[in-house]
Amino acid sequence: MNEQPVIRTQGLTRYFGAQPAVYELSLEVPRGGVFALLGRNGSGKTTTIRMLLGLLEPTRGGGSILGYDIRSLPPEARARIGYLTEEHQLYGWMRVRECGDFQSRFFPTWNDKIFRGVVGHFNLRPSAHVKSLSRGERAGLCLALTLAPEPELLILDDPAVGLDPVARRALVESMIYLTRRSDRTIFFSTHQLPDVERVADHIAVLDRSVLRACCPLETFRNSVRQVRLRFPGTPPALPKIPGLLQAFRSEGELRVTCVHYNGATEAALRGLAPAQMEEAPISLEDAFISYLGDRGEKSFILSETEAQP
Amino acid sequence: MKALVRKEMRENVRVAALGLVIYTLMLLSQYREYVASPTNMSQPLADSGILWSTAWFCGVFGAVLGWLQIHNERRPDLWAFLIHRPMTRTRIFLGKVTAGVGLYALVVGLPLLGFIVWARLPGHVAAPFELAMLQPVAAYVLAGILYYFAGMLSDLRQARWYGSRVLGLGTAIVVSPLLSMSPEFWQSVLLLLVGAAILATAVWGGFQSDGHYRRQPAWGKAALTVALIPGCLLLAVIAALLLRNFFPGRERSGTWSSYRMTTNGSVFKSIQVADRPAEIVDLEGKPVLDEKTGKPIEPNGFNRRIATGPSLEVKQDDHAGQRTWMQKDLSLVTPWRATQDTLWYYWSRYGRLVGYDIATRRCIGSLGPKGFAPDLAGGGDRFSDGRTATGVRTRRTASAVFQVDLEMRATGTLFTTSADDPILAEDEIVNGDYGWQYTMVVTKRSVHLLTAEGKPVWQAPYQPARASSTVFHLFLLEPPGQFALWLSPVGRGPGEAREKYPEHVVWLARDQGVLKRIDLPPLPAPHYGPRLEEEMTSLVAPPALLAVLPLAKVGIWSSGVPRELLLLSWAGAILVCLPIGLWLGRRYRFSFAAQAGWAVFHVLLGVPGLLAFLSVQEWPAREACPICKKLRRVDRAQCEHCAADFAPPEKTGTEVFAPLQASS
Repeated sequence: MNEQPVIRTQGLTRYFGAQPAVYELSLEVPRGGVFALLGRNGSGKTTTIRMLLGLLEPTRGGGSILGYDIRSLPPEARARIGYLTEEHQLYGWMRVRECGDFQSRFFPTWNDKIFRGVVGHFNLRPSAHVKSLSRGERAGLCLALTLAPEPELLILDDPAVGLDPVARRALVESMIYLTRRSDRTIFFSTHQLPDVERVADHIAVLDRSVLRACCPLETFRNSVRQVRLRFPGTPPALPKIPGLLQAFRSEGELRVTCVHYNGATEAALRGLAPAQMEEAPISLEDAFISYLGDRGEKSFILSETEAQP
Repeated sequence: MKALVRKEMRENVRVAALGLVIYTLMLLSQYREYVASPTNMSQPLADSGILWSTAWFCGVFGAVLGWLQIHNERRPDLWAFLIHRPMTRTRIFLGKVTAGVGLYALVVGLPLLGFIVWARLPGHVAAPFELAMLQPVAAYVLAGILYYFAGMLSDLRQARWYGSRVLGLGTAIVVSPLLSMSPEFWQSVLLLLVGAAILATAVWGGFQSDGHYRRQPAWGKAALTVALIPGCLLLAVIAALLLRNFFPGRERSGTWSSYRMTTNGSVFKSIQVADRPAEIVDLEGKPVLDEKTGKPIEPNGFNRRIATGPSLEVKQDDHAGQRTWMQKDLSLVTPWRATQDTLWYYWSRYGRLVGYDIATRRCIGSLGPKGFAPDLAGGGDRFSDGRTATGVRTRRTASAVFQVDLEMRATGTLFTTSADDPILAEDEIVNGDYGWQYTMVVTKRSVHLLTAEGKPVWQAPYQPARASSTVFHLFLLEPPGQFALWLSPVGRGPGEAREKYPEHVVWLARDQGVLKRIDLPPLPAPHYGPRLEEEMTSLVAPPALLAVLPLAKVGIWSSGVPRELLLLSWAGAILVCLPIGLWLGRRYRFSFAAQAGWAVFHVLLGVPGLLAFLSVQEWPAREACPICKKLRRVDRAQCEHCAADFAPPEKTGTEVFAPLQASS
């Protein structure tokens, strides 16, 4: 198997005006499997994907995709990359069947069985006009158009955005089906953490334009821990805890979420002299929310004046 | 590419259908206008109506079609869907253009072809036709393709300032009037080809870079910059003329003098200094006094005494080249006269008057010096073209003037001359009631005045000066029977300035011939200081353009740009545009080659060049370098001042990085 990463970026940066949308992104996506790019709105996910596909000029830095420079992707590279856009935009006047016919003329590896299969999976009528399709149906059609050329690398930009749970499930199933071929790589950006949990092997997290995490999903899951500390009265002030993501203070309890939990973290927490200290289970979704949410301490204790009626 | 062409055709078929309907209606309106007036003597395929309709429609439709072809896909995701396919961007561009130009050709071509077929079918249009008459319409149809590319460019460009997107239209707008001003057809075709090549290359460059300047190939960048200059020039000139309104008017400096003849045959000089009322003096320079007031006569009072009369220009050489190809094409056939039931045209191809029956709209035959013939060529006898003749009763050959009787379809000889004294010009002189009074004939050696019946009134010798042309002014003086013939040499060739030759005046009387003749010294050439609007326009005009403008021999300043205006233009470029360009280049750390290239560009192209420069460049953000603290461009890997790298993202201690393994 080719061990070269399918996507590699080095210091990839894009400014819009004076504001960096993606800052010094250095990333390697290995061949095979599903890679999820996560981040809040405006964190730079779509900008990254558009730069990777040569649709947006990087302000500085660069990268390669399937070994080709992202600034000058030749047609043969595009033939090997399937791209599903965020808004699922298509020509409204075309019929479903015509979309397939149109797209098939350009891709020599077009597999009409896959196209018909995905279209059927989404219950799309071939004679339906694109403009009459619901958002989920349009997403299905876009997915069919993206999958039918049997691309080596599939890049999906927030494919589930705006989809109802049924359509989302259909989309995820299609992705799982696709990963049966081991040399195929799926790179997708999303907000849907359950989907990530179901299909992703690796993740990267963009936080305010900067890459903060890039690791196997399990590594991330194991890195984020939550500890619950109970106190007889009001919890004491929190000292500087390495890797602290969030701390929720309530009456008699302090809940701390941190990354890279280790002996030093534990010692710092025990220094608060809690009556009880236990590790709480945390879901991947909660771990992401803690990771991408506002950092620092939050208090749910009302002050005396606030508590008075 | 076929699939893309088909898709583009299908996508734009509605706007094409709408265009087809609109242009068909415009041509139908021309048709209705023509058939509503049976005595209309225009050739509908070559009259101003179809030219204006076609020029406007092709410009607007071309621009809208081009704009829509890009705009339909300008939503980022749809553009990405189009671009992300195994096809070069050049082929995508070619696919779009093939479909667009094909649709344009159908929309414009079908109605026009229908109109041409209708006009060419016998019995529809009672006017001669030549294929060359279609050239002006063809030129405007081709100009529409420039608007098409300009429309595409307007939506494709990712401009910082949205208004500057439409600047590309300036190229098409500037080329359109130049088509009708070019002396030769091939020059217009060349203009169209060059304009289309520039705009098409700019659009192609835009396709390579999603409309941005920075990623374009060098050819695309150059074409885009050049394509924006005419638009920037128009913008700058309009701005200068609007600004002019904020400045108070000022008296224009300069002196202009001319000779004037009064009805009693006296000659005076009118001298106008600046914008003041003209001063009237006699030939010795003494002011002419008003008999009633004893004061210098007012120009208005003097003008009431001025003698009037026709003028006739005799050219020593053929100056047909001074007319544009469009004027030539549109005057291959000249409407001559209509009778109760016929329309007559002078057709220069046959040198004959060609008649059409108003009722049947068909040709009835032609009239030549030897009389009527049922066909167009007759016996091969031809009239001279005689373009200066304004009359509708006579035609001439080199040796005779003929009176033409259209009712009888016959010609009669009014005047003959010998082969060594050929006729150079001839004109009919009408009185106040448009009655035919005299015929003036100029031969190589003499000037003849004849009555309407062809009887000689007088004859004067004609000794032309060496100027290219002579303008004959015939003054009908008081009392009747007194005449003055004024010969003004007009130089057109190099060194043939008007002020070089004297004016020759001859006084004549019926049956007595020449009474007196004098030579008046040539008057100094009028010299005016520039107007404020001229100064402001030249301040924003490209100096290089002003320097080469006289070579084109068209438009204002074709005989040379006044020195002070040229200096103003150079001053604007060197003192304003060059420093701004250099400052921006330094601020954004252009390379030496780029700085030098743009400096030459600013000097040669002045304000429009600076505007184009500002429009195309994408000014990157700058931020403080953490090492040297100076502002550095964010689009360079290292600081241009201290070569430091950009700081890596600040660590928060929450980073999670681990090596990723390829799936097995």
